[in-house]
Amino acid sequence: MKRKTFIHTILGGAAAPLFFPFLGYLLPQTNKRYLRPPGAKKENEFINACIGCGSCASVCPNKCIELYGLEGGISNIATPKINARAKGCILCMACTNACPTGALKKIESTKKGKASVRMGKAYIATDICYSYAGRTCGVCYRACPLPGLALSVDLYEVPKVNLKHCVGCGLCENACIHMPQAIRIIPDAELEMRNAG
Amino acid sequence: MKKFKELPIGKKLLYLSLATRISVLLLISFFAAMNIFLNYKSGYNSARLVSLSSGPLAGGLYWMMDGFLSLFGNSATILQSSGGMTWSIRIFGFPFTDPVAAMSFFIKNRSFETGFFLGLAVPVTLAAVFGRVFCSYICPASLLFFFTSRIRRLIEPYFFLPRISLSSGFAWGMLFGGLLTAYFFGHGIWTLILPYFAMGQVIFHGIAFGTISAVMLSIIFYALLDLFLGQQFTCRYVCPTGRLLGFIGKRAFVSVRRDPASCLPKCNSCAEVCPMGVSPRMDETVNCTLCGECMVICPGNCLKPGQRDTTKNISDRILKELITFKQKTQNTLKETAEEK
Repeated sequence: MKRKTFIHTILGGAAAPLFFPFLGYLLPQTNKRYLRPPGAKKENEFINACIGCGSCASVCPNKCIELYGLEGGISNIATPKINARAKGCILCMACTNACPTGALKKIESTKKGKASVRMGKAYIATDICYSYAGRTCGVCYRACPLPGLALSVDLYEVPKVNLKHCVGCGLCENACIHMPQAIRIIPDAELEMRNAG
Repeated sequence: MKKFKELPIGKKLLYLSLATRISVLLLISFFAAMNIFLNYKSGYNSARLVSLSSGPLAGGLYWMMDGFLSLFGNSATILQSSGGMTWSIRIFGFPFTDPVAAMSFFIKNRSFETGFFLGLAVPVTLAAVFGRVFCSYICPASLLFFFTSRIRRLIEPYFFLPRISLSSGFAWGMLFGGLLTAYFFGHGIWTLILPYFAMGQVIFHGIAFGTISAVMLSIIFYALLDLFLGQQFTCRYVCPTGRLLGFIGKRAFVSVRRDPASCLPKCNSCAEVCPMGVSPRMDETVNCTLCGECMVICPGNCLKPGQRDTTKNISDRILKELITFKQKTQNTLKETAEEK
């Protein structure tokens, strides 16, 4: 083998993977952001640390963790997501103990540990919520794992979110009986982006 | 049907490699389906309720799984200690990590995660002792390529199929290019580069969520490469993991070993059949995956797995060859003399 051709093949091999990111622009993508599993690092650190082994999804007893295909762009392939409207997180913390790379920080399955989770924040669309219209509902309050702390109710069971305590598990969004949902979890990544500008 | 013990060593290895690869495939499928069981466990915790809600088949499977696992403790915690796929897998809490995944992780984070890097121990030791055995005994994508190469062998007489050969530099390039791309665009890029990772993703999506992952396209692409550009083209020239493991296993302790005394002259069947493009006839052992194809085809029955031939020098090898040739000619001369 001539040395020149060898170097050319190395360069050819190195150039081939550089074309793959352009696939991401060819395929249809959604801008919708989903929740990350509990204990996830900040979005860019999480993307750096998650290698996409799928351990978290295979141990999830609630079947709420899904893996991205190509729809979330190249950087999101094989990373976990939680679609809260389909299924919320029950805060069992099995995924944080399963993660091999530390993309999900380990959290103990205690009351204190569960209250320390930050996946997102719940926001209520007061114009469509049944309770705000004077029809007692209170389903989100019943679904909340931290009732009274994260979600408190008033007259006609009007829900109020306490952003300081809300963990963003998505159980309220999952349970909401209004179509479309009157309570929504905004993922932490999106909140970060909004705060940044 | 012959008994397994009576089979020649090459066939034994061939069947063993097929069996282990299929069991790895089943293991990945089981890990993908595991959360279905866990869901029933946390939701109903009773075989009767499962059979009422999802039919007697699901109920029976749940009953068997739960009954078996509860012999050892809480079935949910036992299952939750395993998970993952070929990229990074945990079996009862013991981690196994792909070297490429570890490299990609290290380059991006420049930090060590103890459990994750501990998982390197077994694959690297395996590669150092046995060579590229990952490729023929574990990699589920190579199972697919095994079948595509068989199809290629079947249709080769009727169609023109080129045999393209590249230098090993291409896979090195893929490795460095992949690491570079992963550094800028995230680790997800490896699903498109490594067929076994893509296969794990497709299985996971298919079983756990019931959807077909678009990553399937990359597997189809690599299978077509295999079919039209050369036997096991992807494994030979494209796959960066295989190249890396081949490099680690360059001085592997166990490899294919030739017995020069019974090797037939002018026979090149082992080099022609080898899926990795290795020529055991020339005592080449780099990249040998111990798949056993050459041992099956060898008419002189001279190839066996054994301790690697450590004579590095070409001149030594030629000397050895000459000595055996001299012995052979002497033997034939003796025989002819006896006949006279």
